[in-house]
Amino acid sequence: MHNGAALDSEPGASSRGSRSTSVRLILEVRQTLPFWKRGLFLFGALGLGLTFSVGILSLAGVPPQQLTLEFVEALNGESLRAVLVQMAPLVLVGLSASLAFRIGFWNLGLEGQMVFGGIFATAISIYEIGPAPARLIIMGAAAALGGAVWCLIAGVLKIGFRVNEIISTLLLNYIAGYFLLHLLYGSWQDARSAFPQSTPFRQFERIPHLQVEISYGLIVAIAAVIVAIWIVHLSRIGFYMKYLSANPIMAGVMGFPTRRVLLFTTAVSGACSGLAGFINIAGQEGRLTQSFASGYVFSGVLIGFLSRNDPIVVLIISFLLATLYIVGQTLQVFYQIPFSMVQMIEAVIVMCVACSEFLVRHRIRLIGRLH
Amino acid sequence: MSEFVANWLAAVPANAVPYALAALGLIISERSGVLNLTAEGLMLVGALVGIGVSITLGGFAGVALGVAMAAAAAVSLLFVVMVVVLRVNQVIAGLSIVFFCQGLTGLLGIVAHWQNKQVPGLGILTFRPFLEIPIIGRFLFAQDAVVYLTVAIFFLVNWWLSSTITGLRTRAVGESPSAADAAGISVPFYRALAIVIGSLLIGLAGAYMSVVNVKLWVPGMTGGRGWIAVALVVFARWRPWSAFFGAILFGCIEAIIPYVGAAGVRVPQYLMLMTPYAATLAVMMWVGITQRGINNEPGALGQPHVREERH
Repeated sequence: MHNGAALDSEPGASSRGSRSTSVRLILEVRQTLPFWKRGLFLFGALGLGLTFSVGILSLAGVPPQQLTLEFVEALNGESLRAVLVQMAPLVLVGLSASLAFRIGFWNLGLEGQMVFGGIFATAISIYEIGPAPARLIIMGAAAALGGAVWCLIAGVLKIGFRVNEIISTLLLNYIAGYFLLHLLYGSWQDARSAFPQSTPFRQFERIPHLQVEISYGLIVAIAAVIVAIWIVHLSRIGFYMKYLSANPIMAGVMGFPTRRVLLFTTAVSGACSGLAGFINIAGQEGRLTQSFASGYVFSGVLIGFLSRNDPIVVLIISFLLATLYIVGQTLQVFYQIPFSMVQMIEAVIVMCVACSEFLVRHRIRLIGRLH
Repeated sequence: MSEFVANWLAAVPANAVPYALAALGLIISERSGVLNLTAEGLMLVGALVGIGVSITLGGFAGVALGVAMAAAAAVSLLFVVMVVVLRVNQVIAGLSIVFFCQGLTGLLGIVAHWQNKQVPGLGILTFRPFLEIPIIGRFLFAQDAVVYLTVAIFFLVNWWLSSTITGLRTRAVGESPSAADAAGISVPFYRALAIVIGSLLIGLAGAYMSVVNVKLWVPGMTGGRGWIAVALVVFARWRPWSAFFGAILFGCIEAIIPYVGAAGVRVPQYLMLMTPYAATLAVMMWVGITQRGINNEPGALGQPHVREERH
């Protein structure tokens, strides 16, 4: 182990020429780090990210005190209900991202998969497939299928044509988006509406609202979390997934079904996103709209990244992110702050946490040379 | 028919320039071993700043393009800090920069009231006698200055990467950072240099789109061209001139979209708008089939260099 290499190879540092300085910074690779210190760095980074975000928002005209009030407000009564409703799709896209990231498959096509989930579910409604009582379940299954198919395209392209999934999934988002517009400005447009949206779903095709705070959408999402926990921690596939992410070449050499694991994971990941799309249209919008999936890609990446791909942590992060979404919607109404602001805050937080990992992996020490 | 082809070809360079410059910027960065996904975001920064400067000064497209390049390079310093100094995962760093820039440019555009304001753009340079050449006359000899500048930049970058000591060192850092490090080449310095130079070009690509092509700022106006440029780099196998011809190919596809409807061919509009993305996927599949077993990507692409971890 070559410890104690100086930071003097950095572009700005000039210590190379001045050996006579008595104190210098050195960088060491850490072998271990106590749990509490790791947590300290994580929360420090989150705090730093939020501070930056508050700074940017106050420059844009939102006073910080008001912002705090909005966050307190968001966790009260009617708003809390909105937060929990918003949480359901976030949990599902978070699961979608974290399952794929687990095997090193960068699924950035969450929006496209949500769109196809929505399209498949709406097709069931438009062509009136299945009896009325079972309609909602059929729509949900169709949405999962649609998302899975759209994500499998990227998986097949990766295995069969060695197309990098970062590129293919991102491009498939745009293709899905234009296909959605094609339908909504074309044959699926509601004849009684000037907007690009489908005819509203019938009453039995909507996810019913419960009197309590928890919506059915959230119940579906929590069920998905339980299935994901089973897949990741208990099933044989989960064991293969761990191997595949640790060392894909080794996994191949040992005869693990790496291709099948990849295809299975992409399908499950896509199905989660498809369900998220279904929950958004059948729970909130009540019809297929133009923008029901927009902005979810980076939310999924954030949840996957911050949760370290752990399904239970996905729930916690999704709750916090849902709060941010609701606050973002309030700011949009009262301060004309564009909703892409939420995405920017997400990006700032991811940047800060990613940078804090430098401290988790390295120790910076001052070495004093006494001359 | 020849009239149609001449019109179509004349519109190709303006559509190809953003792809070409963005892909070239990415190639420079990736040749130094840094997997760069920031193009989509930095193009937006260039596009917004270019329009902003143009509105503030009332014209002066050249100045606007220059300031936009500097702005994109300034934002890329954030990426430099993340991937070169702090060794963050390059995919996560690139993605967060893109979404950061999307949010930031959306917000700034509204706060500064730069949305939907027309700017004068850039004049077209014509070379009189050559315009009469059938079909390719206007394609080659009636374009704006940036088109010609782009060709010059390609010559310059190709020469820099293949024939200068700094260019060779940049490539060495990308192929084998630890060997380069042992030879006394500063890996962080050359990676930072490559990212910043590349980002200048990406910023120019974005500013060209807004200031010269569209002459407006619309939030998210790059519409995935930055991602297509990322694909173009793979398609070009990290070689500048291949990226140039790839960009012309995509310029052709994009330029034909408005003409198809005008020519009376009944193709659904939104399916037509899909073609650049679908074509990119098709091209990527073609690369996968034809270049099986050929691996000429930079050896250390995507791997942070941690000097303290070398064995």
